[in-house]
Amino acid sequence: MRISIPPFWRARIHRYKLVATKCKKCGVALYPPASMCRHCGSREVEQVELINEKARLLTWTVIYSVMEGFEARRPLIIGILETVENKARILAPLTDVLPSELKPGMLMEPVIRRIREEGETGLVYYGIAFRPVLSSESPRPRE
Amino acid sequence: MLPEERVGIVGWGVYIPRWRLSLKEIVEVWGFNPEQPEELGVSEKSVAGVDEDAVTMGIEAARNALLRAGVNPKEIGAVWFGTESKPYAVKPSATIVAEAIGATPRAMATDWEFACRAASEAIRASIGVVASGLVKYTLVVGSDTAQANPGDVLEFTASSAATALVIGSREESAAYFEASATYITDTPDFWRRDHSKYPLHGEAFTGEPAYFKHIVGAVKALFEKTGLRPEDFDYAVFHQPNGTFPLRVARMLGFPKEKVPPGLVTPYIGNSYNSSALIGLARVLELAKPGQRILVAPFGSGAGSDAFSIVVTERVEEKKYRAPTVEDYLKRRHLINYSLYAKYRGLVHRIE
Repeated sequence: MRISIPPFWRARIHRYKLVATKCKKCGVALYPPASMCRHCGSREVEQVELINEKARLLTWTVIYSVMEGFEARRPLIIGILETVENKARILAPLTDVLPSELKPGMLMEPVIRRIREEGETGLVYYGIAFRPVLSSESPRPRE
Repeated sequence: MLPEERVGIVGWGVYIPRWRLSLKEIVEVWGFNPEQPEELGVSEKSVAGVDEDAVTMGIEAARNALLRAGVNPKEIGAVWFGTESKPYAVKPSATIVAEAIGATPRAMATDWEFACRAASEAIRASIGVVASGLVKYTLVVGSDTAQANPGDVLEFTASSAATALVIGSREESAAYFEASATYITDTPDFWRRDHSKYPLHGEAFTGEPAYFKHIVGAVKALFEKTGLRPEDFDYAVFHQPNGTFPLRVARMLGFPKEKVPPGLVTPYIGNSYNSSALIGLARVLELAKPGQRILVAPFGSGAGSDAFSIVVTERVEEKKYRAPTVEDYLKRRHLINYSLYAKYRGLVHRIE
């Protein structure tokens, strides 16, 4: 199935840096970014990058009947996460994890992955997926 | 003063996929001699997942390098991507990495090709463009999802990982370059023709006339240029196609055996091609002390080698834990079977 190139191209920066909008009035962060706050209706929103922010896994679903072109990724795991600082809710594929390892509330982090591709000759589309945070015994910044 | 001495590694970062294949699986599927993995000195290899490629791995390594460097990505004047497994034959991987880290639109960006040594040559070129003042920083990425013909001996070691270096002025660096040298000849040890899915190699020909001759040539050129000797180095990091070649080339050059293992990562994850020697350098930077001297000698088939003398500065300590370490990624490890590996790396062909 061929998809249109321009929408993916236009959204690339938002995907690569996980750019959300944050309402200056009520503070709600929205992803994907929106020109108006869906919570309070304010048009005073600013862009925030969430790529270095961790997120808690709220819920997820394991999809066994996948769309054409996603057979190699079966079972596909899609989660809803809430980022720790800005509380943005994000719908995204989960990666580097087995369904049996998932737990509600587990801490995850955004990474750039191949989201889809158009067969062997078409474009490869990169975007955000979340994976369990890399456990580290070393002190780490921005936790 | 050599141009190298004005330039150093401001930040480094790596990436290793979570999935690992035990080499025993390859022995079982292809009927190899069960002792083959031990002879190669490798027990497991890292396997990129179904949603990973050289670009995604390179981006994570680059982000880690930027965390350690603490520089504004807009100040990066060149994004140089060394790989032999780029997702597109035509369309640069470097622009995807540059966009993802925020270095667009004013940086130079190119994919480099020289088998496993492309990123290494990009390091030498970085020394030139930083020392001359043409750019403030470069980002060099070595990233590969190495391909191997299923059932070929190369399949034991062809693995996936990435290493990235932010290269800038010596004053900001965790380690500075002291000198460097290159040794290249036209040697047909390993190649992949256009449209061929897997590389071929000259079997035993990959050793003496290729790996050993070129690394020895580059390191001796470095010694001649600087007057340095093996005893002046605290660590020796070589391209590591398996777990034994680096120890052998160290012996040929007169390095004591104990200077090699700290920078030897291949026994745990296999040969990650453009990241092979560089991930060894990253591991050494994560345990080295200020004032220590490191020899790094990557190698690429076709063939060529570079030798770098690198001196660690006191800034290494503050940068070490700003991003996940090589050990963090080595610990993140989940074994998969040959079937899953075959699916992840596209060895099973589906008609779309």
